[in-house]
Amino acid sequence: MPEAIVRVRDLYKSFTRGQERIDVLQNLTLDVGKGEFLALMGPSGSGKTTLLNLIAGLDQPTEGTIHVGSQEISAMSESELARWRTRNVGFVFQFYYLLPVLTAYENVELPLLLLPMTQAERRRQVMTALDLVNLTNRMTHRPGQLSGGQQQRVGIARAIVTDPTLIVADEPTGDLDTKSADEILTMMEVLAKEIGKTIIMVTHDPKAASRAQRVLHLEKGKLVLDTGAPALVN
Amino acid sequence: MLFGQSMPYGAPAAFGPQTGVDPSLLVLAGYNLYILGIVIVIALFLLVSVIPFFAVLFLCEFALKILSETGIQFFKYLLIMFRGLRRSPLRTALSYLALFVLTVVLTLIYAVLHLLSNVTTEKEANFKVIITERYSIPSQMPPSHLETLKRMIAKLPPDLRPVNGDDDIMSWSFTGGTTDPTNPRPENMLFMFSMEPRKILTMMDGFEPSNLTADELKMMQGYVKQMEEDPRRILVSKVRMEKMGLTVGQRIKLYGWGFNDVVFDFEVIGMPPDGKYEGAGFMNNAYLFSQIKAYERLKGTRSPLADKCINLIWVKVPNKEAYQRLSALCNDPKNFSPAVKLETASAGIGSWLEAYKDILFGMKYLMAPCMLAIMSLVVANAISISVRERRTELAVLKVLGFRPWHVMGLVLGEALLIGFFAGFLAVGLVYFGLGNFKFQVAFFGAFVIPPETLIYGPMLGMAVATAGSFLPALSARNVKVSEVFSRVA
Repeated sequence: MPEAIVRVRDLYKSFTRGQERIDVLQNLTLDVGKGEFLALMGPSGSGKTTLLNLIAGLDQPTEGTIHVGSQEISAMSESELARWRTRNVGFVFQFYYLLPVLTAYENVELPLLLLPMTQAERRRQVMTALDLVNLTNRMTHRPGQLSGGQQQRVGIARAIVTDPTLIVADEPTGDLDTKSADEILTMMEVLAKEIGKTIIMVTHDPKAASRAQRVLHLEKGKLVLDTGAPALVN
Repeated sequence: MLFGQSMPYGAPAAFGPQTGVDPSLLVLAGYNLYILGIVIVIALFLLVSVIPFFAVLFLCEFALKILSETGIQFFKYLLIMFRGLRRSPLRTALSYLALFVLTVVLTLIYAVLHLLSNVTTEKEANFKVIITERYSIPSQMPPSHLETLKRMIAKLPPDLRPVNGDDDIMSWSFTGGTTDPTNPRPENMLFMFSMEPRKILTMMDGFEPSNLTADELKMMQGYVKQMEEDPRRILVSKVRMEKMGLTVGQRIKLYGWGFNDVVFDFEVIGMPPDGKYEGAGFMNNAYLFSQIKAYERLKGTRSPLADKCINLIWVKVPNKEAYQRLSALCNDPKNFSPAVKLETASAGIGSWLEAYKDILFGMKYLMAPCMLAIMSLVVANAISISVRERRTELAVLKVLGFRPWHVMGLVLGEALLIGFFAGFLAVGLVYFGLGNFKFQVAFFGAFVIPPETLIYGPMLGMAVATAGSFLPALSARNVKVSEVFSRVA
């Protein structure tokens, strides 16, 4: 049984809009195992992205705790979270969000600029990440010169370049055609199965979700269905 | 008949009532075309001035790319800032141009105020004093005043006398006239400083060896010698020569407008260096005095201006004590009739500038601050648009682990780069372009761009860039990642 790398306990998240309080996540408890590829599904407004943001340390819960590895990220300050994210989380976005003025290489290198390492180490890691997504031949291209699928592969390379514990992906195939989406999902499967990365992916697409080892369904901020991980006791 | 009948404003008849076109419209169209032409020239100049900016950016980026290979992260960070300027070249160029133009104007204002401050600041040693008629404007004194003054100076203790003796005493007689007395027009009028030629190089501001090149000094020494050999020889500035259609070597007759019935027969022997006393000329005062005497011989009566032909007397005194002693002597009504007053050149110019004090006050305390405010607003506008457009990108940087101050630094850095380069290139243009001319402003000395502007310009650009971009940068710093992405989703 793989150890749980993400442990979410009694999680609440609410927002206030004027006088109104909106409960986005309610009493959510969840474990994600190391090397697991997890899909989060649910209708719009069900709290998928909010949960993803909380697990990735982009937001703070109203109540409850989140542990990633040995660290309780729900108790960290914004600055500590920023530092923690650099080393521990890789992000893949639906619209890639690459910096248009930087080349593919420079975009992948960006998170490494915050880490103390030599130029040679940095280069080696960037080349390894680009090699994993088969884009070494396009590393001098800017995002505008790449297709959507290629841009998303750069996005994945950027997410894995720091060798993070966790990769979170928000609708990574939402903006891609079927063929490119399939390539991206295959790549994510490889990352989870062969490299042992823990991946949490938000998606609306049942076909994309079917590629994950486990699928969670959220509705109105609550976990309504968990297909269960084959090797993880929930 | 197409062109037979003349029309108002000189328009040909064909464009008159027959066609129904009001000729005044043609004149108006002409003016519009003229203004359009000026606008196009300015636009082209601005367009051209953008080229060095982008060239410098490109070179810096290239250098940073090489430097960043050393592994020092600061260079990478700086490189990202430079790349950020490429995001919207048009916006970057327009922000740069606004700062560039305003820095040029501010530098010129600074240079003018600096010049005025210089000429109105009292010096401690070897400074000039001016002797003028006490009770009338314009000042008009008899030549005997100069002799009286020289006698007084000779009686002063040696340490209170001018260091260079007579070379440090100069009189000016303003001599003007026209080459066509029947139709005096700006194109045929000439104003001259009538003085001892050798004093041009010892006493006139702007002709000090430090303000002339070696060739210019040699040329001026040659002219002075020629003017001393023949008092009819004159120097006329290039601008005036062109205006009057004169050439070097030409002989002209000048009919004095202050000295009625005095006719001068001049030979133009050359031009002072460009920018020196433009619009005026220099003549030997010996010729003026001889013509006044000739008037007496011709008319059998003294010229009305015989006792009024000296307007100003300048003396370079060695120290404050000399000034005070000389001032006491000059201010004693027993010594001079008509009475005179003595003041330092700086005080004299200061009193003359009194009439313009409101304009100078406006330049210093209204115009300059307003321009600084405009510069800051231009930067604030450009940077806030940029931040608004890039909120998602800035949020992504935060997601990747960039701290809030990193993000703020990136935004501030981009503004600082524009400010620095705009300031640097603007003062560079003004200092190495305009500054080289060292043109003369009246008798204030050469108008130079002070070298400190080379430091102030970039600092000014960076200061207004910081002021303008601070709030947008703060807003970039406070971008809430979860809010940005929930909005995007």
